[in-house]
Amino acid sequence: MLIIDALLQGILMGLLFALVALGLTIIFGVMDIVNFAHGEFLMLGMYTVYWTSLFLNIDPLLALPASAIMGILLGLASYYCFIRYLLRGPAIAQLFGTFGLMLFLQYFAMFLFKTDYRMVEKGLLVGKSLSVGPFIFDWTKIAAGLLSLISFIVVFYFINMTKTGKALQATALNKEAASYMGIKTDRMNALAWAIGGGTVGVAGGLLVNFYYAYPMVGILFVMIAFACVALGGFGSIKGVFFAGLLIGILEMVFPVFGQLVGSDFLGPHFKVTIIYLAYFIIVVVRPQGLFGWRQ
Amino acid sequence: MEAIKDALNFSDFSRAERISLIIFSLFLLIFPLLGAGSFTKTVMIQFLLFSLFGMGWNTIGGYGGQVELGKAQYVGIGAYTVALMMVWWKIPFWFSMPVGVLIALGYSFIIGYPLFRLKGHYFAIATICTSLVLKDIFDNWTLVGAAKGIELPIHEHPDFVYMQFKSDTYYYYFIMVLFYIGLFYMNWFRKSKLGYQLRMIKDDEDAAESLGIDIRWCKIKAYSIASAFVAVGGGFMAVYNLYIDPTSVMELSLSIKIALMAMLGGAASLWGPIIGAAFLVPLDRFLGSWLGGYKGLIGVDFMIYAALIMVVSAYQPRGIWGIIEQLRKRGS
Repeated sequence: MLIIDALLQGILMGLLFALVALGLTIIFGVMDIVNFAHGEFLMLGMYTVYWTSLFLNIDPLLALPASAIMGILLGLASYYCFIRYLLRGPAIAQLFGTFGLMLFLQYFAMFLFKTDYRMVEKGLLVGKSLSVGPFIFDWTKIAAGLLSLISFIVVFYFINMTKTGKALQATALNKEAASYMGIKTDRMNALAWAIGGGTVGVAGGLLVNFYYAYPMVGILFVMIAFACVALGGFGSIKGVFFAGLLIGILEMVFPVFGQLVGSDFLGPHFKVTIIYLAYFIIVVVRPQGLFGWRQ
Repeated sequence: MEAIKDALNFSDFSRAERISLIIFSLFLLIFPLLGAGSFTKTVMIQFLLFSLFGMGWNTIGGYGGQVELGKAQYVGIGAYTVALMMVWWKIPFWFSMPVGVLIALGYSFIIGYPLFRLKGHYFAIATICTSLVLKDIFDNWTLVGAAKGIELPIHEHPDFVYMQFKSDTYYYYFIMVLFYIGLFYMNWFRKSKLGYQLRMIKDDEDAAESLGIDIRWCKIKAYSIASAFVAVGGGFMAVYNLYIDPTSVMELSLSIKIALMAMLGGAASLWGPIIGAAFLVPLDRFLGSWLGGYKGLIGVDFMIYAALIMVVSAYQPRGIWGIIEQLRKRGS
């Protein structure tokens, strides 16, 4: 029973993880850059919803568009003001560059909002739960899972069905060939950052309903997102969805498993550790991930 | 003998470099006599320590071109070995430090073997993961103090065997000696066979492989050398701070700082890590103490720090040493 409960909770979290990792995998696929600052986009999305709902006195769910817009603008700003210049340098400079961006946003948030832990306290769904038989679900988590799923499907259709989305895919497959076909790859890069920022902003807005926002919250989620992206295969959108679900389930089921076995070393302290370990094992054993189409 | 001669041979340096090396060495030697305050002394010790870390990282990260972001785990191994052996069995520093280095070497071979199947981004993130896994284990392992960390027993009298002194000057000279050993080793390393092999691997892995270089083994060797360097520094941190916890010796930000100093100064050059540390350590410290005094400016020091990283990586990925070389070429 505990296991099934954890499984269901894990699926809800997994849907959210998939949305967090979606932007990372799109950016990686289109321009081969690992965005360390992705978690900080999430953190700023959380704060956006928190402050918007507080100041305008509206339901946190209605504040989601604000976090999406913030994410898109942030993504575009990072691309046009910074990432574009990084692309000329070697890979090592790119890694450090996005790392610098991550530190900058972290401490910028600390400067603005101090180190307090903040969570949305008022709202239509906050604090309410749904009980189905022996299982109890928080409404906020259900909303987070379902809205993540919807956002994911919207982006998936955008990329697979529209002309712009196909251009984006073409850029990911072969940048040079795409530019010969008349696709403005610079714009596609910007689009990837906009989508990446927007989706992760929404994810942050959903997360703040049941998770504390603080300036350093990003690093945990960016590592989870890395694991999802690696498991799904770097750059694969379909892969990242199932990988997100798997990681979500793993994170929830693992502590329960430890509880059943009665081992201290399988306890909830290590539920994040197991994700790091999972990443390590996945990339060593199967570098192309579950659905990867290249190495 | 040949190796020692090589290590002390700076003949391929330009005259300006040799003169600055001599002036720099003289300055380091007489620094404690200049009557600097304890704060400045701490900054100098930190500078030498981080130069040592940076030199170690430079073997794999600079010459080998692998983005290694998990060095903090070896700082932790070095520091914890020294601290635990002293607390549990009262084993002197001079014995426990080499043991720590040996453990770090062994561990780096075990980790390095699967790790170097990976390349590029995969590798970089995997190194972060291994480091964080070890930190999480130490954070929850009650036998080694868990998140509370461990305090080293304090001796009444200054003790050379346990490396405990009242004055920072002794620590300063000790880390200076380590620094010079590191510097000479790196001077030998850059001219050694492994050094050339690594540069070849960095330029073109396929070409290196076709010349019969065992790429993976070379990388593992360089990785282990880097780990040994860092573990020595970790051991020093334990006796210098007299208190260690997973956050202070295994944090991700420490790994980043180590790599960053070498990168900012100029990777794959002898001077790079030293310049980087000379630049970043004082900046970090003075900004922190200067801005920390103002209320409401929390985080601004790190914002400046981060902005610097962003500017350097966008405009001059070869670091400060790259700028110097550019200027020199323009001059001649």
